[in-house]
Order: sequence, then structure tokens, then C-alpha cells
Amino acid sequence: MSYELKLAAPLAAFFGLFFILPLLILLYVSLQADTAMTSMAVSQFTRFLFDPFSLSVLAHTLFLGVEVTALCLILGFPLAWAYVRGPAWAQPILIVVVLLPLLTSVVVRTFAWIVILGRQGIVNSALLSLGLTDTPLRLLYTEGGVVVALAQVQMPLMVLPLITALSRIDRNLDDASAALGAGAWRGFWRVTVPLSLPGILAGCMLTYAAAITAFITQSLVGGGQMLFMPMYIYQQATALQNWPFAAAISIVFLAAVLAVVSVFNVLGRLSKAHAEA
Amino acid sequence: MHRQEGLEALGFRIVMWGLAALSFVLLLAPSLVVVVVSFTSGYSLKFPPPGYSFRWYVSLLDAWQLQFAAGNSLEIAAATTALSVLLGVPAALAIARSPTARARALDSLFMSPLVLPALSFGLASLMFFSLIGLPVSPLTLVIGHVVVCVPYVMRTTIASVAQLEFSLLESSASLGASRWYTFRRITLPLIRPGILAGAFIAFMSSFDNVPVSLFLRDARTDMLPIRMWQDLEGKLDVSIAAVSGVMIVVTLSLMILMERVAGLSRRLR
Amino acid sequence: MKPTRRGLMTGALTLAAMQTFPRLSHAQARRLVFATFTGSWEEAHKDVLVPAFRKATNAEMVLDPMLSVDQIAKVKASMSNPPIDVMLHDPGPALVAIDQGLVESYPVADSKHYADLISEAQVATGPAPFFQVVGMTYNPDKVKTPPSSWKDLWKPEFKSRVGITNLNSTLGTGFLVEIARMHGGSESNVDAGFQAIKDLKPNIAAVAANPGQLATLYQQGQVDIGPGNFNAIQILKARGVPVEFVIPKEGAIAFKTTIHIVKNSPNKELAFKLIEAALSPEVQEKLMNSPYLIVPTNAKVKMTGEIAKVLAGSVEELKKKFVFQDWKTINTQRSAWIERFNREIA
Repeated sequence: MSYELKLAAPLAAFFGLFFILPLLILLYVSLQADTAMTSMAVSQFTRFLFDPFSLSVLAHTLFLGVEVTALCLILGFPLAWAYVRGPAWAQPILIVVVLLPLLTSVVVRTFAWIVILGRQGIVNSALLSLGLTDTPLRLLYTEGGVVVALAQVQMPLMVLPLITALSRIDRNLDDASAALGAGAWRGFWRVTVPLSLPGILAGCMLTYAAAITAFITQSLVGGGQMLFMPMYIYQQATALQNWPFAAAISIVFLAAVLAVVSVFNVLGRLSKAHAEA
Repeated sequence: MHRQEGLEALGFRIVMWGLAALSFVLLLAPSLVVVVVSFTSGYSLKFPPPGYSFRWYVSLLDAWQLQFAAGNSLEIAAATTALSVLLGVPAALAIARSPTARARALDSLFMSPLVLPALSFGLASLMFFSLIGLPVSPLTLVIGHVVVCVPYVMRTTIASVAQLEFSLLESSASLGASRWYTFRRITLPLIRPGILAGAFIAFMSSFDNVPVSLFLRDARTDMLPIRMWQDLEGKLDVSIAAVSGVMIVVTLSLMILMERVAGLSRRLR
Repeated sequence: MKPTRRGLMTGALTLAAMQTFPRLSHAQARRLVFATFTGSWEEAHKDVLVPAFRKATNAEMVLDPMLSVDQIAKVKASMSNPPIDVMLHDPGPALVAIDQGLVESYPVADSKHYADLISEAQVATGPAPFFQVVGMTYNPDKVKTPPSSWKDLWKPEFKSRVGITNLNSTLGTGFLVEIARMHGGSESNVDAGFQAIKDLKPNIAAVAANPGQLATLYQQGQVDIGPGNFNAIQILKARGVPVEFVIPKEGAIAFKTTIHIVKNSPNKELAFKLIEAALSPEVQEKLMNSPYLIVPTNAKVKMTGEIAKVLAGSVEELKKKFVFQDWKTINTQRSAWIERFNREIA
């Protein structure tokens, strides 16, 4: 027994009207020649694609996502591993620590990083009192600061799918590989990592998509000197009121994200097939 | 030989547990730091604070701009959650067990707001509403929020429908129960925790939404996260730390409550 | 899209929403919206002007602090149904707003306080409730010798310690013009100013989005020296944050700030009452005193205290002592400069 597909009709209609139609209008606006919106042209796209400044903003944003995702994976994988391998009593504590940041407001989490990275912040006070530096370091408004803050803010998105993937791995496999004389590292790279690949890819996709669109963290921790795509879109759309160009940047950004997501999806399907084979 | 293996295994453990401990601290520390700083007696975000007091919590009592924004955010989040459940649950029932290509396509469509840049969608919505001549209002905000929040309700509901014993429903039907009766008396109680968990996440993410609100709000529909962001950028008032402290405590309590009634953590994976 | 169908759709949607969420339609009742500036102005207006307005009208209002350029952008985007009722503008944006027909002329005949304003503040398109002065700000705990000239910012000892704002604010643009003048440029030619700011880059610790944010950077110890509004730091200073204001020997930049009723505002009557409150001697007197120290324009309010000590004892003295820039000329190229700054400096 199952429900008819027509039960999905109201939501489908809602999405058609308020999701697909707005995106089509975004495309339509991006194809306007100027802000008067009287004639159509692809000039907004050529302006973006032949402008080294705009291209550098796009490249910088996409690369930021790579850095954040890599850091999240390096830190998140061991945490998920510890959740699965650790004692049962530790699991509820770990899950609260992972879920709390996910549910706490992004503004609050970003604010915490302003406090931590500031000149009078926790890192600088520690370095000063340990005598490791005599002048406070500049940590806020640097790319490194943005990467670390974003990695922390997005880490739950990486850890949750990893926990799912790692819990599904039969622990006997590890024991078998150890019994066959494979070392801990070898077993890890040959057994654990390949089998958790679907989780890794799902986590990377969610983290990447979230990191490059994290407007608040990028602008508050990055400061006025670093421009990423979301702020670029926001500036063009509101302060400069250049809707056609803002729409074109949004479309380029959407396309870039879609491309990355599709690559992850294809890899995910391949890895699932591989893991199940 | 054995010794070497033992050393290697030890090294592996040290690296893995060390990194896990590091990320544990990294996940936990910021919330703790905010809570500590919110009790400062000073005017700056110095850590550790020069002294401790409740003054910033007291100052929230007259912070009418923040209170106004918080009230708006709560109303919008409540309306968004209600609409997301009304639209999302039937859709989840419809596509959860359907193997057809059309159901798969709808599933991908409904999930796509999770990965697409919400800021682009926010801008698209603003353009859409201004083209059809609907001014920015609480209504437009709710519509925009539902699009980005409904995937959470769908995800957890679909997962709980997938776990249903369908033979149970069939036997109820064969005993002559109407579909509506079966749904109300058997299906709904079984999938209720899934719906609750999804509704909770939808509520939190609407309450915290920035990229859509950024374009669809104005001063009369001021939203708390945006007010906080602008306060952080414009005047760095320590009262923001107190607001954050309140939000952390409320979130933590709600989370524990939801874990009890809906098994939240199982439904998020 | 045909207007009838548009109307129909809007009607249907609104009706459906009102049926479903009665509380939301209630929340839609229009409060007066005053777009003030961020930082100390917002605080001063929240503490003094809003209570005075409430007392006079018994009505509720909201502050939506943002830069003048953003206020203009928002009003222009929705001219028939503006999201803001009262705008606050420095001279550059004021000219733009008036040119583009975004403001109502002030009902001078009905005003109780207009005639009491000094002559410079009597502007029919929107009177000036206060003056602003831009000089140098520094942290006396970290900068032992007070700066005396704009040139001091380029000193090697201030490596990674200078804070500036981008050109969206009057502070940023005024600073650029002043620096250009110092290097032989003018309001119409700021190339030398851009070059000088490029040379300043090693010293720049942060480029703030607005003057309010720049002030917070002193509070956090993130920057130690830079251009700054006299008012922007006063509230911080009163709270014990180590900041001082100094007039550079090249002269500080002064300008008046005007307040305007937005064209097509549905709250014109309340908007008028808010502006009346802003011009009243009671509010101006309070705002002139510590911790706000805002230069008054109502002739009934005598300039005393810290303002008289640091800035000037009268408007005549203010006009003699300070640099007034030509915003008509600046406006012709300002958006190009903003773009150039974002590409070359930020």
C-alpha cells in the first residue's frame, strides 16, 4: 500500500511558483542589457567572464570552499571515527557537541570567532602570556581566520554523514584485515576509508556548498578587504542596485555550485556501487 | 616485528584520537567562549573578561530593537514551520515509497534548496515578488523561508515512512478501515517523531535564516539574525553576547527535549 | 504580466495568508521607520530621539541604521512604497536624493523649530539637525605621541595598525579627497589620493564597512589610528575605551547632515514629528552633552563643554576653522571611485 503521487501536488505547485519561477526570472533579469531592463543581451555574462576582478572573486570563493572542506574532513573524520569506536557512554556527549553548533545560530557562532581571533582574544592572550609573541598577531580579517571559522561552523555537516557511513562498516572487516597482518594505517586506508567513501562524499558536498555561501561568516571574519561571491552579489543587488549584473553573478555562482554538486553526486554513486560490490 | 606493529597501531591511535580531541574542543570552545564573555563587566569582548556581572543580560530588558526583531523572527519561524509541515508531510508520504521516475525527480527538486546557494534564491525571490508587484512583507518572508526549510521536514519524514511496517497498514485496510482512519490511527503516530524532528530543524533554520531574509525583509520585518549581524558590524555591543548566551541555552534545552520526544540525533543522520 | 492578473494574484495570496496567519497581518501594521547611521548615531538616537518622539506622539517606531548610499538604494528600489520614512544624509548623498526626487520638501510653515536653526541648517528640502567633524582618531594607550598630521598615518611604526573605511561612507570619501589635496589633487582629481592610499596598504589593518564598524575596531584593539568622526568615538570614550580625537594640522573636515521626509511615505505626519523632535532645543541640548557630543544646529542651544573645548564655541568658529569639501563635484565621480577603491584597495 502506498500513497498516490498527487499528495505531492501542493508542494510541487508551491515549488513551481515560488522556487522555479523566481529562478527563471533571475535568468531573465540576468539577460537584460542594462539596469533599465528594456533590451536583452548576454552583455552581463561577458562583462563577468572577461573581467579579471570578477573572475578572481569567483576563483577565490571556490578555492575557499576547497580549503574549508579539506580542513573539515581532516578534523571531522577522526571525530566520527572516535564516535563509532569510542565507549558507548561517550556517544551522547559527542552527539550533543556535534549537534549544538549545527542548531545554534550562525551569527552566534561567527561572533564567537570574533572574540577568539581578536587582538584581545583568547588566542592572542594565550600566545602573549606564554611569551610566544610580544605583539598580538593579526588573526581576524585574514584568510586563515575565515577558513578555520568556517570549518568549525560547517563541521557538523561533515561529521553526521561520516558517522552514518562508519557505523555501517562491519567491524569484523577491520579485525580480519588486522588478523591478516595488515598494519593499522594500511587497514585504515585500504578498508575504512574506501568503505566510508559515500559518507565522505556526502559530507564534502554539504560542507562545500555551505562554506562558499556562508555570507555572515565570510563578511564578519573576513572583514572589508576580502570579497567573496555572496557579498559581491549582495553589494551589486542592494547598494549598487545593478539587478541584471547581480542576477548574472548569481547565475554564474549557481552554475558553479551545481557543477561541483553534480561531480560529487556522480562520484557518490560510483563509490556506493563500489562499496556495495 | 610484533613490536613494530604495536608501535604503528599506537601511532595510528594517537593521531586519530588526537585529531578527534582537537575537533571536539574546536566544536565546543566557541559556545563556551561566548557564554563566558556574555558575563563580562566590561565594554569590550576581551577574553578572559576583566570581571563578571549580569549587566548585559539586564540590558536586554530594554533592548527594544532586539526584542522587536526576536518577536518577528519567532512569528515567521512558527508560520514557516506550520506551512512546511502542511506541505511537506503529504509530499513525503507520496514520494517515500514510490519507485517511479517522477517521484525521484520530485524528490531531487524538493531537496535542491539544501545545496543551492540560498543567497541566489533570495535575490531571485526578491526579483520575482517585485515583478508581480507584491511588496516585501511577512508573507513574502514566510514563502521564501518555506522553500529553504521544507527539505528538512521532507528528509526526516521520508526516513520514518521508509521504516514503516507496510503489512500493518495493509492489514488495517483489509479489516475495512478507511484510508484516513488508518492514516490517523496507525501511520501518523508511527511517523510523528520523524515529523517532529523535521519541524524542529525547519523552525531552527528559519529562525536562523540570513540569505533569504537579507533580501525579503525590511525594517518593519526586522529579523533577529540580521539585526545581530548589523549590530556586530556597526557597534559591537556586548549585549549581542548576552543574546547569544540566551540563544545557546534555549537551543540546548530544546535539543535535549527533542532528543527525548523525537530521537533527534538518530533522525539527522 | 497584465496588471489585472497581477492584482488578482496579489489579492489572492494576501487573502490566503491573512486567513492562515492572522497574527502576521497584524504585524504588518506600519511603524515609522527612521534610517539613521550606524554606531554612535544609532545609539544617540535610540537613547534620546526615539524616547522624545514616543513622548510627543505615543507612536511606535523602528530604527534601521545604514549608510546614506544604502538608504538611497532602498528607497529608489521601491519608490511607490518606500521601506523608509525618514532618511539621514551627509551632503553628497543629500544632493543625490534631492536630484532624484526621493524626498519631500519640509513643511517649513508648520515647523515650530525651523526658524530657530542657524541659517546653514535651514534647508527646505530637509533641515540639518547636526554638524559632523572628521579628524583623526587614535588609541592613547598604544600611540604615545598624539598624531598631528594626516601624513603620520604613513609612518612605518603604524604597520598593520591603521583603520580606514571604504568609500561608501562620507568619512571614507572625505578622507580620500583630503589626501588627494595634500598631494596636489582636488575634488575633481583624486588619482594622487588613490596612489597615496595604495602606499598606505602595508599599514592598513582593516577596511571597515562603515564608520560605526571602524569605531568598534578601536574597542577591540584591532586598529590603533586612522581617520574618524568626532562623534563616532564619544560613546566608546565615555565607557572607558581608550580613544582620542585630534584635529590634524591640515584641518579637519566638517559638513552638515540633513534629515528628510521620504517621498510617498505613508507616515508623513509622524515623519514630520520625528524631525521636529530632532530639531527641538531639548533633544539637541541632550545630544550635545556627554556621552554623545553632537554639534547642535538650533541657535537656542549654546555650544559648551567638550565640543567648545575640542571643536569650536560657535558655528562661525566652526566654519572658519574647518575644511568644507565641494560635494557637487565629488558626486559626479563618486560611484566610479567606489568601484575603483573596491578593486584596487579592498
